[in-house]
Amino acid sequence: MRQTIIIIGVILVLALLTVVPMYNSYNKMVVYDEQVKASWSQVENVYQRRLDLIPNLVNTVKGAANFEKETLTQVMEARAKATQVTIDPSKMTKENFEQYQEAQGKVSSSLSRLLVSVENYPQLRATESFKELQSQLEGTENRIAVERRKFSELVMEYNAYIRKFPKNIYASWFNFKEKPYFTAEKEAAKAPTVKF
Amino acid sequence: MNYPTKSLSESNMKKIKQHLRAIISFTFVALLFLNPFLVNGQNDIPARPEPPRLVNDMAGLLSAEEQTALERKLVTYYDSTSTQIAIVVVKSLNGYDINDMAVRIGQKWGVGQKGKNNGIVILIKPKINNENGKVCIVNGYGVEALVTDALSKRIIENEITPAFREGQYYQGLNKATNVLFSLLKGEFSADQYMAKNKKKKKGTSPLIPIIIVIIIIIIVSNRRSQGPRSFSHGGADIPFWMLMGGMMNSGRSGNDFGDFNSGGGDFGGFGGGDFGGGGASGEW
Repeated sequence: MRQTIIIIGVILVLALLTVVPMYNSYNKMVVYDEQVKASWSQVENVYQRRLDLIPNLVNTVKGAANFEKETLTQVMEARAKATQVTIDPSKMTKENFEQYQEAQGKVSSSLSRLLVSVENYPQLRATESFKELQSQLEGTENRIAVERRKFSELVMEYNAYIRKFPKNIYASWFNFKEKPYFTAEKEAAKAPTVKF
Repeated sequence: MNYPTKSLSESNMKKIKQHLRAIISFTFVALLFLNPFLVNGQNDIPARPEPPRLVNDMAGLLSAEEQTALERKLVTYYDSTSTQIAIVVVKSLNGYDINDMAVRIGQKWGVGQKGKNNGIVILIKPKINNENGKVCIVNGYGVEALVTDALSKRIIENEITPAFREGQYYQGLNKATNVLFSLLKGEFSADQYMAKNKKKKKGTSPLIPIIIVIIIIIIVSNRRSQGPRSFSHGGADIPFWMLMGGMMNSGRSGNDFGDFNSGGGDFGGFGGGDFGGGGASGEW
C-alpha cells in the first residue's frame, strides 16, 4: 500500500517536473512567435512604403525631357511584381521568404539603376519635387534597413529558443518551426544609394 | 628606422616565421573570443553617457559654454514636453552609414520615452582633412509624423549645413533645434516652415519655380488621367506636392523662431525610446 503511494507520488512529481517547464516554454514560444509576426508586419510596411513612393518618383522623372523609358518600365515592372508577393506571417517558409526577398531585391536594383541614370539630368535633380522624393526615399531605405535588422534579431532569438534541448521537443509537438531571416549578402540588403 | 641593407640570413627568417605564426594564431584566438562583440558591432557605437547628457561632443566641435547652453536648452525642452533631442558628435563613423549609426545610438541609449518613442538624434561627424563633414537627424517612431523625412532634410539644408560650412556649429544646432521645437509643438505647421524657406530662397534662380510648376502640372495631369490613387502610406507623410506648394495656410507665416532661454533642470536620463530609421542626412 505504502509502496504504491510512493510510486504514484514519484510519478506525479516527475509529471509536474516535465509539465511545468513545458507549459512555460510553450507560452514563451507563443510570445516570441507573436513578436516575430509583429516585426514582420513592420518589415512589410516599410517595403510597402517604398512601393508607394515609386509612382511619384516615376512621374517626376518622366517629366524630364527624353528620360530613358526602359529604366522606368523596369522599375514599374519590379514594383508590380513585388506588390503581388506578400507573406502571411503564420505561413512563412524558407521558399516564400526567398521569393519575397528576391522581388524586393529587384525593386532595389531597378531603383538604384534609375537613380544612377538620373545623375545625367542635373536639371531634374535640382527640382524641389525630386529633392523631396529623394529625401523620402532615403528615409524609407533607412527604415527598411532598421526593420530588417529588428526582424532578423527577433527571429534569431526565436530560433535559438526553440532549437535548444529540451524545448526542441516541445516545439516539434506544438509545431513551432524555425523561421527564415534576412541575410546581409542578398541583393536586397544593398540599399540603393540615394546620395549624389 | 634603419633597415639592414644585407638580406636576412636563413635562421633569422625562420625565427621571424615562427613569430609570425605565433602572432597570427594569437590574433585568431583573440578574435574568436571577441567574436560575439564583433558580431553585435555594439562596441563601435558610443556608450551611453554617464551621467546621462543630451549634448555629447566627442570630437571637440563645441566649446564648453556652447555645450552647456545647448544642454540647458534641450533639458528645458525635455522637462516641459518629455521629448528628448540628443546631439552627438563623433570623430569617426567606424564604417557605419551615418543614419544607421544614429539609429543604433538612439536605440542603444534609449533616446525618447518608452512607448512614446519621442526621441530625436542629431549625429554629426565633423569635417576632418579631406573627408566631408556629415550630419543626420533621425526621428523616433513617435515624432515621424511631425518631423517627416523631407522636413528633416530641409532643416539640414537650410539651418545646419550653411552654418556648419562657416564653422558656426553652435549657431547651426541652435537654429535647427529651434525649428524642431516649433515643429514638434505644432507651433507652426510643416507647410509654414516650407513657405518660410521659400521666401528666403527667393532670387536664387528664376528657372526653378517654373520647372516646379511644370512638373506639378505634369504630375497633376497624370494623376487625373490615372484616377485616384493613394501615394502616401499610413497617413503619416505629408504628400510632397503639398510640401512643394507649401502655401496651404498662410495665416501665421509671420512666425519667428524665438530663442528659448528659460532656466534648466537636471536631465533625468534616457527613457528607452525606439527608432525606425526615419530622418535625413546631409554633408558639408
